[in-house]
Amino acid sequence: MSKTKFPLFCGPSNRDLSPKARYRCMRNSLLIVMLAITLIPLSITSGLNFIQYQQLLREDSQANARWNAESARATINAYLEKLEAAITVVIDTYSFEDLSDTRKLEQIFRQLKKEHQGLVDLSVVGPDGIQSGYVGPYGLAGKDYSDSLWFHKALTRRMYVSEVFTGFRNVPHFVVATSQKDPYSEQYWVLRASIDTETLDRFLALADTEALEDIFLINDSGVLQSGSRYHGGAMQDFQLTRKPKQNDILIYEETRGDSNFYRAVSRIPNTPWLLVLDQQGAEARKIWHVFKDRLLLTLVLCFLASGGMVVWLSRFLAGKFREADETRDAILSETEHSNKLASIGRLAAGVAHEINNPLAIIGEKAGLMQDLVGLDQDFRHKEKFLSQLDALQNAVVRARTITHRLLGFARRMETSLTLVQLNEILQEVLSFLEKDAAYRNIHVILQLQENLPVIRADHGQLQQVFLNVINNAIDAIRNDGEIHITSRRENHKTVMVAISDTGPGIAPEILKNIFEPFFTTKGNEEKKGTGLGLSITYGLVQKLGGKIEVSSEVGVGTTFIITFPVYNEGSEGESNDRA
Amino acid sequence: MTAHRILIVDDELDFGTTLAERLELRGFAAKAVGGAQEAMEALAADWRPDVVLLDLMMPGVDGLATLDLIKQHDPKIQVIILTGHGSTESGIIGMQRGLFDYLMKPVDIGELIARINEAGAQ
Repeated sequence: MSKTKFPLFCGPSNRDLSPKARYRCMRNSLLIVMLAITLIPLSITSGLNFIQYQQLLREDSQANARWNAESARATINAYLEKLEAAITVVIDTYSFEDLSDTRKLEQIFRQLKKEHQGLVDLSVVGPDGIQSGYVGPYGLAGKDYSDSLWFHKALTRRMYVSEVFTGFRNVPHFVVATSQKDPYSEQYWVLRASIDTETLDRFLALADTEALEDIFLINDSGVLQSGSRYHGGAMQDFQLTRKPKQNDILIYEETRGDSNFYRAVSRIPNTPWLLVLDQQGAEARKIWHVFKDRLLLTLVLCFLASGGMVVWLSRFLAGKFREADETRDAILSETEHSNKLASIGRLAAGVAHEINNPLAIIGEKAGLMQDLVGLDQDFRHKEKFLSQLDALQNAVVRARTITHRLLGFARRMETSLTLVQLNEILQEVLSFLEKDAAYRNIHVILQLQENLPVIRADHGQLQQVFLNVINNAIDAIRNDGEIHITSRRENHKTVMVAISDTGPGIAPEILKNIFEPFFTTKGNEEKKGTGLGLSITYGLVQKLGGKIEVSSEVGVGTTFIITFPVYNEGSEGESNDRA
Repeated sequence: MTAHRILIVDDELDFGTTLAERLELRGFAAKAVGGAQEAMEALAADWRPDVVLLDLMMPGVDGLATLDLIKQHDPKIQVIILTGHGSTESGIIGMQRGLFDYLMKPVDIGELIARINEAGAQ
């Protein structure tokens, strides 16, 4: 079947399509319009929902990154502040000489180590940069720090936290140093505590959550101050693209491979460090996947449900349109049919009337001749003449019978309700059909109730009803079978006629359509049906206030039951005796 | 029984005169006229029929109007319509206006005489 045969939309150019194609394209048009009406708003709503939730999750992820960064910064800050406070207490309490005493220094170191994890060593450096006291694992006593950057910075500040460096020990660490003025020499000396970078790693690890991709410290020159999951250990190089001003937390989006993440960068006050925290992007979060899956599932279910509904509805509506059109066509055909019959009726009546007059003249002339010849005793060939005139009179009688019958037919074409006896109508109809039935060896068995009440109906239309049904029964049997016709009074309100045949029966799927216009099963046979017979019958029975029902069993036969209301004169007493 | 006087009113004069002749052969006094006017002239000429056989479809004054004229002239005259253009309606209207019977052409002479006798006996 080519595509052009069933176009999607029907326009004026599709008028010459076949009815099937027209209904098909009407159905398609309905389908497309209704799908658009239902699915477009659904898609828009879902899209908006998607975008809004994504936005919400992004904001949430950013807020999360900020909060985590703040929390990690506070942890490191707290550690440093506590250590700084402890060192300050020591330097305020003890003199340079006290702390240059290794035993004293060791005592203090042990005390500090208990409270400050990660503390590697504690040392005192004199104003000349020579380490005069040292407690720790590296044996750095007597080392000269006069050229060290941290030493000079510590001298100029009350408290100094260094960058991570390797120094004499060749192990990455940082120092927290404070200086004090010696009251006698008026020169500054330094108390220094070294902390290994693993301590920083441990603190940073505290901030680790499921959504955290990486967290590390870095200095302004791009040297890692702690280990990073993606960029290596301390002292490795890594360049940040953006840095915050002062103490703000800067958050921006970064890409690693295929995935996006949020990077929060903040300075840790009074240190040379920047805290860098990489937080999973909104799209990488589990909750986002769950949302997407659910949205998709809802959307698919809604699409399926509305798609199904729309398909059903468009079929249903197209079917209804088709039904309405067919009913209209049937009514038109029926009207046309009745009009045609009425015209034939009028024509027949006209012809009959016109013929009756000359026929009457012929009859009278022939009659007069008969009279005169009959009176004349001496008329030659009298017998032969009279017999000829008799034949002429017989022909007139035959012609009169025909014209009278034609007039009767014409009268039946006009609907006129009279009181009729169903049994008489059945007999009349059978007189038309009995020859056909006998020829096909079909026995018609009558069980007609006597004194059946009369009904008020149109004689001709009732004839047509029974003619159709009995004709169908004969067609169904084809050859050899029986037709049972029963009439009886059902109750005080109705009379019924049952017409059963021993035909092949009708399948249920056909039975339900049997009264629909243009529905025919006679298509393949030489006697093609119009599909209007039973539809017209149904209409006529309804018009006469009756009811027609059909029941059938395949292989057994079919029964039509037609009921009519009994005619009641006034409120009581049927006029059956008038029939 | 005295023979009845029959007036046949029919525009088909050939039919009327033939029928009149046949009725006369059967002892009736019969006269055929071609329309309402002649019929009324006949009535006025003191030829009072007992039964009028009246056609329905006639040019000028039709059968039902002629029936009214006859009944106005003498309600006792019995009228039988004898027509080729019969219809139940005109029959019913005629009966309401005092028509005795309604017969369709062509009619059997025996049946016609029986009706004439019935009408004449009224």
